[in-house]
Amino acid sequence: MSAAPIGKEAIRTEKDRLADAVRQVSAVRGRGRRRSVTVAAALLVALVAVFGVSLSFGDMVMPIGKVVATLLGGGDGGSQFVVLELRLPRALLAILVGAAFGLSGGVFQTVLRNPLASPDLIGISAGASAVAVTAALLFQVSGLALSASALAGAIAAGAAIYLLAWRQGVAGQRLVLVGIGVGMGLSSVVWYVMARSDVTDAQEAFRWLAGSLNGRSWGQFWPMLGALALLVPLTALAAHALRPLQLGDDAAAGLGTKVETGRLALLGCATALAGVATAAAGPVGFVAFVAAPIARRLVPGRGAALPQAALTGALLVLVADFAAQHLLPSVQLPVGVVTSIIGAPYLLLLLARANRVGSGG
Amino acid sequence: MTAYEKNETQDDNERRGPVVAEHTLEARDVRLGYGDREIVPGLSVTVPPGRITVIVGPNACGKSTLLRAMARLLAPSAGAVLLNGRSIQEMPTKEVAAVLGILPQSPTAPEGITVSDLVGRGRYPHQGFFRRWSAEDDEAVAQALLSTDVLELADRPVDELSGGQRQRVWIAMALAQRTDILLLDEPTTFLDASHQLDVLDLLTDLNRERGVTMVAVLHDLNLACRYADHMIAMKDGRILAEGRPADIVTEELVGEVFGMRCSVIEDPASATPMVVPLGRHHVKGPAA
Repeated sequence: MSAAPIGKEAIRTEKDRLADAVRQVSAVRGRGRRRSVTVAAALLVALVAVFGVSLSFGDMVMPIGKVVATLLGGGDGGSQFVVLELRLPRALLAILVGAAFGLSGGVFQTVLRNPLASPDLIGISAGASAVAVTAALLFQVSGLALSASALAGAIAAGAAIYLLAWRQGVAGQRLVLVGIGVGMGLSSVVWYVMARSDVTDAQEAFRWLAGSLNGRSWGQFWPMLGALALLVPLTALAAHALRPLQLGDDAAAGLGTKVETGRLALLGCATALAGVATAAAGPVGFVAFVAAPIARRLVPGRGAALPQAALTGALLVLVADFAAQHLLPSVQLPVGVVTSIIGAPYLLLLLARANRVGSGG
Repeated sequence: MTAYEKNETQDDNERRGPVVAEHTLEARDVRLGYGDREIVPGLSVTVPPGRITVIVGPNACGKSTLLRAMARLLAPSAGAVLLNGRSIQEMPTKEVAAVLGILPQSPTAPEGITVSDLVGRGRYPHQGFFRRWSAEDDEAVAQALLSTDVLELADRPVDELSGGQRQRVWIAMALAQRTDILLLDEPTTFLDASHQLDVLDLLTDLNRERGVTMVAVLHDLNLACRYADHMIAMKDGRILAEGRPADIVTEELVGEVFGMRCSVIEDPASATPMVVPLGRHHVKGPAA
């Protein structure tokens, strides 16, 4: 019959159309993936460059060849001391702290679907600060014990915020508001303890509160590296649920996500990341808040862009710490002062934009 | 006789295409509510496989609540929702997601996400922790984009699309999941009249061509009458009537369910029942 060949024709073109569509879809996906790899590579290159500069530049400027030679075990005693004992651990710690803050902020903002939901704004850092300052000033705790108390404070604050925000599940908006409230309460604890303390001690605590890498060395680096070796893989594993969770609770559940478990795991990892970073360098302001949005702008349409957020955070802290050391002659600023100079205008911009759009964030 | 003519002469049931769905979905004595507020005080219903079921009823009648329970977004306080005879609350959640897809009422698209990335997320239940994106995933996404006619938007950000396009993209996301059952909570809300028809035609195509079982909550009674194979009319958490729209939609039923006077005539386009509402004004003569 005459209908048969037409039917075959239709089937063939149908197949062609599908094959064509498959090609188109995988081309779009390929473009996106190439972009995200390119951005990550560019960030990495920038990171290595700034890393090199921060090792060679300082009171004693060293040519990069000498820095490399020293890193490889050569150099004289002076350069070994300056590079290996002073600059290297500090630069490495800056990278780890920045990466941890960037990753933490990226997870918080994505899970809670709110650009304001970063650990430094919703009370996690305030929790770390309150416990650390109390421990240092009232109980004369210092060194690793102080770092541990900061971590404990971050986790306790995270747990408190989560429980206070719980109403048969946790919604982003409510958790952010509860977090800001808890953060304010904890800040008042910090100021109360500081006000009661001896001026010299309080000044020391104040420097820590600004977020500083001054005088940081291998003693802070190794525990931080150990913590990240555990937390980064855990976060990567938990981030599997992030892609569906971004679509809203109902859609995520429809796709087979255990919504509440997945969210708790992600928030737990992000809280611990912010906690260890704060323990190592103090609550360096705004890094967690701005790193992920910058990364998402660099790789638009790719979801959370967590690796890029971590790299952006690392680059941010490394650059900020370099600036903090050398911007003003004879004064070493705390790195947190510099990051705040970057972060505060962004916060204002975000609030202004959110107000115009009419959404709370 | 051409194939076209032959199709026309087939009876109503056969024209609906092959019933390939082998999965069954039913609610058995479910009590549903939020906190202390009970909305559905005990109800049983079986979804006919391979058909389009539409749930209608006034606001707060429990229709969305029932759909949420069937989508296991809401756990019943008593009774169970059974998928292939097993309680969906007790099944592994990814196993449910491989069979039953949902399109929630107000899904959120992450800022800047592209159409193809969003639709690709529908592949989540088919991917493991370490399983990379596969050729099958690409094909499912491509097929979903083709079926919903949004292929040319593949690399556009979702937030730049119109309401109608966006809804098609979300349906594509649900299609990429490749489930035999699809639950849709008011898929036509916020769409203008022509896009409402587009979406319902699209759902009908998917049902006829692939035998996907559909359950949708709809607000528009006349569109529900036209597109439903099976209609469920709810009020105060109870089912007042269910069956083919032609069999159940009467002036009495509409009066009982919606508390609204109306006359029911035949839809000149589809020969399904058409509800003409009668208010206090603009009615000629005494309502006969």
